[in-house]
Amino acid sequence: MDQSVAIQETLEEGEYCIIAVQGVLCEGDSRQSRLLGLVRHRLEHRGQEHALFLYMHRRMAITGDDVTLDQIVPVSRDFTLEEVSSDGELYILGSDVTVQLDTGELSLLFQLPFGSHTRMFLQEVARACPGFDPATRDPQFLWLSRYEGREPEPEPDSRTESGWSLSQSTWPGYGTIGGGGSNSDSSKSNGKSLLGDQSSGGQDKAENSLTRQNKSKSEITDLVRSSTITVSDKAHILSMQKFGLRDTIVKSHLVQKEDDYTYIQKFRFFVGTYNVNGQSPKECLQPWLSHGTQAPDVYCVGFQELDLSKEAFFFHDTPKEEEWFKAVSESLHPDAKYAKVKLIRLVGIMLLLYVKQEHAAYISDVEAETVGTGIMGRMGNKGGVAIRFQLHNTSICVVNSHLAAHTEEYERRNQDYKDICSRMQFCQVDPSLPALTISKHDVILWLGDLNYRIEDLDVEKVKKLIEEKAFQTLYAYDQLKIQVAAKTVFDGYAEGELTFQPTYKYDTGSDDWDTSEKCRAPAWCDRILWKGKNITQLSYQSHMALKTSDHKPVSSEFDIGVKVVNNELYRKTLEKIVRSLDKMENANIPSVSLSKREFCFQNVKYMQLQVESFTIHNGQVPCQFEFINKPDEESYCKQWLNANPSRGFLLPDSDIEIELELFVNKTTATKLNSGEDKIEDILVLHLDRGKDYFLSVTGNYLPSCFGSPLHTLCYMRQPILDLPLDTISELTLMPIQTEDDGSQLESPMEIPKELWMMVDYLYRNAIQQEDLFQQPGLRLEFEHIRDCLDTGMIDDLSASNHSVAEALLLFLESLPEPVICYSAYHSCLECSGNYAVSKQVISTLPTFHKNVFNYLMAFLQELLKNSVKNHLDENILASIFGSLLLRNPAGHQKLEMTDKKKAQEFIHQFLCNTL
Amino acid sequence: MAKQYDVLFRLLLIGDSGVGKTCLLCRFTDNEFHSSHISTIGKLSQGPTGKQETKHASQLSAPGISAGGVDFKMKTIEVDGIKVRIQIWDTAGQERYQTITKQYYRRAQGIFLVYDISSERSYQHIMKWVSDVDEYAPEGVQKILIGNKADEEQKRQVGREQGQQLAKEYGMDFYETSACTNLNIKESFTRLTELVLQAHRKELDGLQTHASNELALAELEEEDGKAEGPANSSKTCWC
Repeated sequence: MDQSVAIQETLEEGEYCIIAVQGVLCEGDSRQSRLLGLVRHRLEHRGQEHALFLYMHRRMAITGDDVTLDQIVPVSRDFTLEEVSSDGELYILGSDVTVQLDTGELSLLFQLPFGSHTRMFLQEVARACPGFDPATRDPQFLWLSRYEGREPEPEPDSRTESGWSLSQSTWPGYGTIGGGGSNSDSSKSNGKSLLGDQSSGGQDKAENSLTRQNKSKSEITDLVRSSTITVSDKAHILSMQKFGLRDTIVKSHLVQKEDDYTYIQKFRFFVGTYNVNGQSPKECLQPWLSHGTQAPDVYCVGFQELDLSKEAFFFHDTPKEEEWFKAVSESLHPDAKYAKVKLIRLVGIMLLLYVKQEHAAYISDVEAETVGTGIMGRMGNKGGVAIRFQLHNTSICVVNSHLAAHTEEYERRNQDYKDICSRMQFCQVDPSLPALTISKHDVILWLGDLNYRIEDLDVEKVKKLIEEKAFQTLYAYDQLKIQVAAKTVFDGYAEGELTFQPTYKYDTGSDDWDTSEKCRAPAWCDRILWKGKNITQLSYQSHMALKTSDHKPVSSEFDIGVKVVNNELYRKTLEKIVRSLDKMENANIPSVSLSKREFCFQNVKYMQLQVESFTIHNGQVPCQFEFINKPDEESYCKQWLNANPSRGFLLPDSDIEIELELFVNKTTATKLNSGEDKIEDILVLHLDRGKDYFLSVTGNYLPSCFGSPLHTLCYMRQPILDLPLDTISELTLMPIQTEDDGSQLESPMEIPKELWMMVDYLYRNAIQQEDLFQQPGLRLEFEHIRDCLDTGMIDDLSASNHSVAEALLLFLESLPEPVICYSAYHSCLECSGNYAVSKQVISTLPTFHKNVFNYLMAFLQELLKNSVKNHLDENILASIFGSLLLRNPAGHQKLEMTDKKKAQEFIHQFLCNTL
Repeated sequence: MAKQYDVLFRLLLIGDSGVGKTCLLCRFTDNEFHSSHISTIGKLSQGPTGKQETKHASQLSAPGISAGGVDFKMKTIEVDGIKVRIQIWDTAGQERYQTITKQYYRRAQGIFLVYDISSERSYQHIMKWVSDVDEYAPEGVQKILIGNKADEEQKRQVGREQGQQLAKEYGMDFYETSACTNLNIKESFTRLTELVLQAHRKELDGLQTHASNELALAELEEEDGKAEGPANSSKTCWC
């Protein structure tokens, strides 16, 4: 039975007792029962704070009257509650759980009963811990001040001093004290904390234990995080992130199955490179760009040394860009219309990409980047530019580079190549994906003034070989060939055979070799290489007709096989992928089976626990389950019901047993008697990210005198269980002030017969009973007494005096309207010192209440006549009956000690004076 | 490549207990019709009175998971080139759960109102279901009327015209479906999705332009303009 109900009654508005457990507080040799309640306070804006409320309690706590707040331990950052095992003792399954509660100030040891409820309690507490996330605010616990003074008056040297009542600095951040650092100070000045008491070592020891606790705390939270549940989000909103993930999965499946829905189609690529030596276009470029008979599908045209001026170098701005762009655009193959896809330039290195207009729609993901490798390894006088794009389903990267000059600098050129490869990074459309590099493309076309020279031959020898057109022989001395063979550069790239004479260096405006002072040796500086599948080179040549520069332009045409999507097949493949994902997703929706979904509790009786259990069997997906609140309801089930556990985690194919506990107490009994409430409820068992299951609870409640109003009982001449439900309902709902008008109702009794039965029994049997009303009764006997009262079988009543006495107290407590009506409560307290006025107040009570009050007082006075035997005195009785007969109409909101005292005084008068 | 999934919608199946909501859902999402339902009927129909008992049994129907709860499945479909993920909620039809199931309405963008053509009673109840929808579902929710179990012609109690008439009154589309023979299942789900899409057209248009292609269209138009200047001159040499 969950005793949190009792605790809840003592709480202020806005606070909620999540779970309670009964435990034993161990201090040295002393063992005291305590009720531990985990209380949550919702902060006004966001978040929540928790505290552990410790209560002293009598018998099994059912209502707020049964419990007395002992102390409050805020669940602060330095709060820990951890399981401890006694040294050298073997852990025995089923034995009590010993837990150690520590804060910076306080250390308590509890024994909690073995079982799932305790587990749940510990989990809930662990979950309530604020954690160490510095982003979250330190808990303030301002709300706890409302409970200040509720605890028993602190006596000097009492244990409670280390709790809330005296030391507000039990937790960090309260009031003006800042962080946890001041804790040890305050505990020292307080001087009464348990830690201080136990260790004469003082502060040192306290600090040590503090660090130890912190450590174990983090261990505990880790453990709990990995093994337990988080509260499920009841709205099944799919996060966008999940959306994106699915998107990515579909994409990767599509890539894997690309062959299923694409076919290879040849595209004609024109690739050209031209070092223009800073010149402006002076001639038509058609001989270079449009020499073929077939119009290319794609043009990749690269320039180097577009502008050698300082302005271009420093300000990156040059009129040459537009001039050459125009010159190229005008010289593209006349048989087709072209669209410019991209122009990219780094100082003098420019790359232009055009496609036939009809292909434009199939170009996507165009990105361009530059990498400078010149002065300081960064400047743009040397380096590379690149354009990457997607043509249909094939990714293509075109690089134009101008590498370091001078014959002996081939290693520098190798380095430039490597720098371009590593530093050239293209953004992806999806920013979450890593940047693309050159090598991550299906097709790579690399052109440019790579500047590799012919080595180990003198100029004349070179020129002679050229004259003989012995290009093969000459090629053997080509630095690029040698470096590629040594795998130091352009690894994996292919180049066509060089069947044209070197393109560098000529006297400008002629086909004559360089006649300048430097008299450079001819070299194949301008090159075109490629890498990738389905690439066929159709031509590779230089164009001697162009004389603007000291270089000759080079061109190459390729047929490149591009993956083209067959829309029909694509759709089918996509559908297949999507279907399989849907299927997978549906299979991953958590699903359980329940051994039982309809629960019938028959003949439910007042304060008699009934339990029905069922098993949740999980399917193949790990899942979290939780009973969730129905809309507009504050808890997941009616007050008289409890599911244990009400949430948890299930591994695939595992089971858990859930107990539905039904217990009707005074809070819920009246409405069940009147029929305003029924044993009927629907519980919603929710699986996180999954289904909701409805469980239906039905049953019938056997009305009882417990929980029935006094006047109702007076009108019931027969035992309550002999009456039809309609009559009980009618009588229960009858207003209290009903005076006998002698009409339809049977004449009422003066006092409820049930009350008389109990009092009479006690009068006959227990008038001399020692410790009457102070010893607990037996649960089983209570049930017997209740049944006798409700069935009228009073002659069968046989129970111990203490049980009957307790039943009497329970009866008074269960009255929906106390003997002294709520309306008279305050006037009673006011006149508690004045017997005459007090009597006057009593006389204003409704007849039955007045009768009952006088009857009880007369009985108590009879008891007092035997005080020699039963050791009862006025004070004891006034204290017991004061709080039962006089109850604060505001519930237990303000359980002031002074009020309690006044209530006792009030009763006391009637015990001492003649009635 | 454009985004594969653009929208997520929630559709809800409601209607009396036993009209076959769960079967509709399973047929649509898994293309399965659970034979266990059939076998339950088959078993019972072996009674001495034969046919009559079959009818009785089919009205009882074998309740699926939704009989006491709320279940859902996912399905991705394409409508008008937009990939739509739909989450279809299958609710318990029993009256005692209706106060709870109503609370699920407000999360739906589209609602199937389902009756059983072999049950006049389930047809009559559509009125009540519609008024619940009006009360609890968000404004602008799209509705569609479904007369299920169209394969059970011999047991028909509700005429096709009656369904059409009712749908017309409420301004809804109407389909007679059969989860058993897979009649109009895909059609009705697609139709409701279309309706929801149309109702959310504005929000979606925003989405669409967002996912447009990389190639700047403006640049292409510029090229077109150039080409148009000297008409047909692109074939001649410009140098």
